[in-house]
Amino acid sequence: MVKTHMKIDSHLDQIERVGRFIQEAAQDAGFDEMESYACELAVSEACENIILHGYGDDSTGEIEVSVQTEPDNITIELWDDAPTFDPVNCPTKLDPPIDDPPIGGLGLVIMHKVMDEMEYNRREGRNQLRMRRSRKPPA
Amino acid sequence: MEINVQGYKRVTVVTVTGRVDSVTYSEFENTLQAEMEQGKVNIALDFSGIEFISSAGLRVLVNARKTVKNAGGKIVIAQPSQQVIETLEIAGLEVLFEQFPDRETAIAAF
Repeated sequence: MVKTHMKIDSHLDQIERVGRFIQEAAQDAGFDEMESYACELAVSEACENIILHGYGDDSTGEIEVSVQTEPDNITIELWDDAPTFDPVNCPTKLDPPIDDPPIGGLGLVIMHKVMDEMEYNRREGRNQLRMRRSRKPPA
Repeated sequence: MEINVQGYKRVTVVTVTGRVDSVTYSEFENTLQAEMEQGKVNIALDFSGIEFISSAGLRVLVNARKTVKNAGGKIVIAQPSQQVIETLEIAGLEVLFEQFPDRETAIAAF
């Protein structure tokens, strides 16, 4: 088991750094390029939600990212100090109308589709979002 | 992110390379908006050089599709990168955008 950790300021231009971090960790866990990309995408969406909807106008916040990898498995935890925001149980339509999809909530759709498990906790006044994905057998 | 716009008789080809995310999407949105305001509502997007596209980029696509559709036009995607294909499929939006293996066939679709 390998554990790694990083921290970013709550600025949108920091999300790319998190993405690279996640993609490298996913590849270390044995995920192929596109599965690693999917993990990068989902975690980027989660960070964007925290920055835009959690911290909002507060640009002094931080997001802590910790990643735990085992062969064929990746678990990502995001911690932030923004007001309570639970993306796991946030109502979102996973099967939107085909011709006119709602454009809000697309990030949540992506997170739910990519991850096998998502868990939200409010702990010690902080938000904790835990996401897990297992490597999928090739199609 | 870099954007290039080429006008043809019946279609405008917009080539986007790099990252389309919450930092860069507005530049992409403004470019499409400017074309659509000039009545260019048949648009082929060359996405062969896109390395990353998030929901912010997808929202631009969905909104632009709605605008051109209402004006009698359409938006198609030419030679999407694997990342574009993956993102559209994850978001369940791949059915909204006709995809072509190269620019020529995309242009010929208009």
